[in-house]
Amino acid sequence: MKPLLGTLYLLGILVPEGLGYDGSPAQPRREVVEETVSPWRSLDTYSYTSYHPMEEIYQWMIQISEKYAGVATMHFLGMTYETRPMYYLKISRPSNNPKKIIWMDCGIHAREWIAPAFCQWFVREILQNYEDNPRIGRFLRNLDFYVLPVLNIDGYIYTWTTDRLWRKSRSSHNNGTCFGTDLNRNFNVAWCKTGASENCHDLTFCGTGPVSEPETKAVSRFVESKKESIVCFLTMHSYGQLILTPYGYTKNKSSNHEELIQVGQKAANALKKKHGTNYRVGSSADILYTTSGSSRDWARDIGIPFSYTFELRDNGTYGFVLPASQIQATCEETMEAVLSVLDDVYEKYWDSDSAGKVTSTAVGLGLLVSFMSIL
Amino acid sequence: MPPRRQPQPKSGPEGPRPAVLLLAPLLLFALQGVAAAPAAAGGREDSPGLQDAELPRGLLQQAARAALHFFNFRAGSPSALRVLAAVLEGRATVNPKKECQVDLVFTTDHYNPEDGEEHLGKCSARVFFRNQKPRPAINVTCTRLIEKNKRQQEDYLLYKHMKQLKTPLDVVSIPDSHGHIDPSLRPIWDLAFLGSSYVMWEKTTQFLHYYMAQISSVNQWKTNDDAIDFDYTVLLHEFSTQEIIPCRIHLVWYPGKPLKVKYHCQELPTPEEASGTEEGSAVVPTELNNF
Repeated sequence: MKPLLGTLYLLGILVPEGLGYDGSPAQPRREVVEETVSPWRSLDTYSYTSYHPMEEIYQWMIQISEKYAGVATMHFLGMTYETRPMYYLKISRPSNNPKKIIWMDCGIHAREWIAPAFCQWFVREILQNYEDNPRIGRFLRNLDFYVLPVLNIDGYIYTWTTDRLWRKSRSSHNNGTCFGTDLNRNFNVAWCKTGASENCHDLTFCGTGPVSEPETKAVSRFVESKKESIVCFLTMHSYGQLILTPYGYTKNKSSNHEELIQVGQKAANALKKKHGTNYRVGSSADILYTTSGSSRDWARDIGIPFSYTFELRDNGTYGFVLPASQIQATCEETMEAVLSVLDDVYEKYWDSDSAGKVTSTAVGLGLLVSFMSIL
Repeated sequence: MPPRRQPQPKSGPEGPRPAVLLLAPLLLFALQGVAAAPAAAGGREDSPGLQDAELPRGLLQQAARAALHFFNFRAGSPSALRVLAAVLEGRATVNPKKECQVDLVFTTDHYNPEDGEEHLGKCSARVFFRNQKPRPAINVTCTRLIEKNKRQQEDYLLYKHMKQLKTPLDVVSIPDSHGHIDPSLRPIWDLAFLGSSYVMWEKTTQFLHYYMAQISSVNQWKTNDDAIDFDYTVLLHEFSTQEIIPCRIHLVWYPGKPLKVKYHCQELPTPEEASGTEEGSAVVPTELNNF
């Protein structure tokens, strides 16, 4: 209980508005830009088909962990540059067997709003359906989900208050003359070797050194500590409609490249079945551009086998400013893709279902033989 | 001809309309002859003109985009804008000056997709990239999907609608942060995209390509002299650098007449510019006037 109280206290200092824990109505927000402020109180009225500012996402996480206490817990990951707390949700069904971990992060680039929207959608889908839906239920028998809905919190807030198309973090450089590191160039893999810039003004600025940024440190430290258990590392971006496998820093392929492509292609097919949207699958260096220091490449190189970047809708028509009216369709189809990946991952590591099939087949055959012997 | 790169052909319910494609195979035939000509040094024997190591990644897609921007600009019709669906086939050569010639066939889709209707168009094009210099030379032919009269009708309806908009326009940005465009302002977005097509055509190189991210301000919207006189600032997203480039665009449009465009963009930060983006006078002149 104490860590939770400590967390709430921190929240009280750093996110003063909109929480109203003393029961008083939420204060009107200072930085209203163009959004409608609807003071929702209950999770039942939370809209998964609109974009939410950070305060609301913080509150949503708390409410999720309260409503689904026992399965969903909220955990502190680290602090951002502007000293905001980073939280992830752990979805885990208590059991005695050791679990493997699925990691998903969204919003490493601030302007890619559809990504955090998807993370929230994903969490809701899992929690609402794990009891009734056998496909999802079986995942939770052996898998834990760790979901970081917004990685680049400072940047995300900045896109709400100041610049909708901001990408990087909000760290200060060169005596405050330029701001922000591209967090997806800041991981410790071929750091700043290619497809990244040493110039702090550029949007692909790799930072002052590998893992120089507090956000990157927080994620790195945590993922590294759990790497033996993590089988799947999914990082959600927009736009481009792509499922990207390692690597971006080289055209060389990972040892399991064929498998990653196969699983990725199957996911793209599942996605397309939903609303007809076309996704391309390939290594980042092959179908996108070279990058170094990306979280996906780093995750693969520390041994996490299934490591993907998803670039969600669209193809450039609206780009980063994807209409909220497309959130539902985008999330539905992306959900199919992610579930497809999870199916493959699950079947690879836990043969329980195929064992079940073998058993029932054996029984069937046995019955058939018995019948035939009677005739 | 095997496709150069990955992009899968878009599988619509029906393929591209065959009816008006007589020109395309002929054009391709002619293009093939030309493309086979001077292969750059070190070409592989099996596919003349194609050198994996030398060609920029995604070159066919780059060419398709440039060709489509140019096509949209030339068509001058905000109701008939097209977007890239898929590259079907293409080949490219690079000369010793690192200039790229690309011949390709690609499919297109409506910019404003009508519900349920998928009318894939088909284009063939020759694109000549001048090694990162602007204004790639384009020759592009596309199947006619909308009959000319109908297109003019739609344009005229749009035009009438625009004339009725109350000035000064009370807009901050289009779309807003949530991606919403008020239906009454939709024609402004389409017209802005048309104007931006000119800019994006000129700025596309074998490495750089652009999307229109947002209209950040409407500076002036006039409808005197019958034509629409539109002065606005648009934010272009350059994909390979991920940069956002503000461009001030001034266009004059009247249905059926060629579009007139003037523009000025902030320059992309280059490695030499250590101090960040600078206005105006860069090495490459961006101020162009086809008035």
